[in-house]
Amino acid sequence: MPNHYEVWGVTMLKKNITKASMLTFADRNRIYILFIVVFLFMTLFAPRFFNVFNLTTIMRTMAMNATVAIGFTVILIIGQIDFTIGTVITLSGIIGLGLKEYIGFGGSVPVAILAGGLIGLINGLLVAKAKINSFIVTLGMMTILQGAIYTFTGGNTISLSSEDAFAVSDWLSDMIFPLITPRILITIVLVTAASIFMKKTRTGRNFYMIGGNKHTAWLAGINTDKYTISAFILSGVTAAVGGVFFAMESAAATLNMGTSSLMYVISAAIIGGTAMSGGKGGVFNSFVAILMLDVLYNGIILFGLGNEVKIFIAGFILASVVLYEAFAIYKHEKVIGQRPELLKELELQNAQK
Amino acid sequence: MEKTKLSDATDEGIRQIDTRATSVNLFSKLMHYAGIYAVALMFLLIGIVLQGLGIINSFLTTQNLLNILDAVSMLGIVAVGMAFVTYSGQYADLSVPTTMALTGIVAVQMLKYGFFPALIAAVAAGLVVGIINAVAVGKYKANPIIWTLAVNYVTLGVIRLVWVNKQIYPDMIAKTQRASDLFDSIYRLRFFNKIALPLLMLVVLVFILNFIMKKTKYGMQLKMTGAAQKAAKFSGINTERVIGTAFIICALTATVAGLTITSLSRVGAWYNGTGYDFKAVTAIVIGGMTLAGGRGSIVGVLGGVLIIGLMNNIMTLLGVGTFSQDMIRGFIFILVVGINAKSLRSMGRDDA
Repeated sequence: MPNHYEVWGVTMLKKNITKASMLTFADRNRIYILFIVVFLFMTLFAPRFFNVFNLTTIMRTMAMNATVAIGFTVILIIGQIDFTIGTVITLSGIIGLGLKEYIGFGGSVPVAILAGGLIGLINGLLVAKAKINSFIVTLGMMTILQGAIYTFTGGNTISLSSEDAFAVSDWLSDMIFPLITPRILITIVLVTAASIFMKKTRTGRNFYMIGGNKHTAWLAGINTDKYTISAFILSGVTAAVGGVFFAMESAAATLNMGTSSLMYVISAAIIGGTAMSGGKGGVFNSFVAILMLDVLYNGIILFGLGNEVKIFIAGFILASVVLYEAFAIYKHEKVIGQRPELLKELELQNAQK
Repeated sequence: MEKTKLSDATDEGIRQIDTRATSVNLFSKLMHYAGIYAVALMFLLIGIVLQGLGIINSFLTTQNLLNILDAVSMLGIVAVGMAFVTYSGQYADLSVPTTMALTGIVAVQMLKYGFFPALIAAVAAGLVVGIINAVAVGKYKANPIIWTLAVNYVTLGVIRLVWVNKQIYPDMIAKTQRASDLFDSIYRLRFFNKIALPLLMLVVLVFILNFIMKKTKYGMQLKMTGAAQKAAKFSGINTERVIGTAFIICALTATVAGLTITSLSRVGAWYNGTGYDFKAVTAIVIGGMTLAGGRGSIVGVLGGVLIIGLMNNIMTLLGVGTFSQDMIRGFIFILVVGINAKSLRSMGRDDA
């Protein structure tokens, strides 16, 4: 059987093309493959992994970070970064529980979400209008919010102990379907809505265009400033939603509840295929990546391994993914200007002679 | 200091090409001629005025001014090294905190074999982290923020796996009293009973690194790489090696700071150095180095470090709480950088 065929007189190599296209397919959907591999591994080897109780636990852990990852992925897609998500989570939890005494959850939850949106708005205005690098703006804002959180709470955990607070907490954590509690349902609805919005609407796809090339997007008539500001507002709002519902379910807001989320969400977004340089990735990919990391961590704990193993593996996975992507670009850049397919054809012709 | 005059921007010949509005205000003039030291001087004046009004006392004493310098010397050591990474256009090295922790804990562990083997082991550990960063970011062009963040976590995981979440104490590990004393003296040695060793190290590092950045061939290549990496590459500069060297310099200064902080706290633990990454970025950027790369100087970064020291000292003397200080610091950080960027842009000197 010949290993090449002709299309309109051009000799093509059969084997290489199928291999390359398979690799591309695997690369595009690598997060789903990774998720399936990790899930199967844990199902087969981890003790007490595959049962409704444990899977619900995983879904519960996923709920907060998956919500936060929506906005953060959009921020990465437009080519910016937002370090404030961790502190916004904490702040919204504190506002949501702290104001409950005075205005009830009906008032305090919207206030908490609005506060997140306001912080996003300030970030966005400073980035888009004052033209300060988002790395600096959100870093400074993170310091400010950290100070604000500690100043206003006096360093104490806010916990609720009234009957109705526990009722809300119970309602949020009750299973309505297998694996689904109201908080998980909220998360899934938000993620689905956001991914449809980002992939299927013109407004959503404009975010990708801005991330791909800001100047082209501007020349094409997109109001880049408006989109940048809305991305930051979205990031603030989703971080606040994630934080406030998490705090309500646990009926307590600690001062470091959002600290680990920053690293977690960044890793998930990158592993999910969203590029720091912008214009690539998707909200749903980040969601699956968060789910995969949670399955992995859950499995590590079930194996009886400690927190240090978890930290090491988390860093190791992130490092390998970053290096893998960088290496792919490195290999691609090496052959820019070369025509490998022509060289191969030449070899083929020589072989035929 | 750049040689170009301010008046160039308003020159008749240039205005025809460059139609951007050039508005030069007092602040931008100050920043242009005196650099960040104008702001440092301003804080010093605020301190003196506050003391004159009797709101705070003991600000303008030799001991207090030396205390300010002592307090920021470690931050300064980290910042002047990380400045090379920022200058090369690679934003920041976020793996600094655990590099500090790793080198410190390795040094404490190796004190068993004496003081100098411990130092050599620490430098080797720092070099390993530096080379890993250099290869990944320099050669394979990994995104510097994400990559160094990942390295930070891997190193943290390694420390916590190897030492099983334990802290180790130099006086219990060291076999001889001399080794333990020498290790303690890294932070505590004082010349003329006044000038501490970390401060001296900072001054020496500023001299050496400033010389490297401004006077050597490598410094020129670094400036070009930071300003325009592609142009530098096509003009024959080995940008991979230039960026890699910047990361190695950063890791080595982090090693020095790691030894100092471990000597200060007399304990080797994974949390030594937490927060130094963002603090150093703050100092660097306040010091006038832009994240776009290729602009700024080590002397400016030192100015940024001094401003942070003065600000902390004045606020502490005023009795402002630690966390309110955080808020004010974050606010001033955004403000200074914003004004600086705006005035640079209005002079047509910044395209970032």
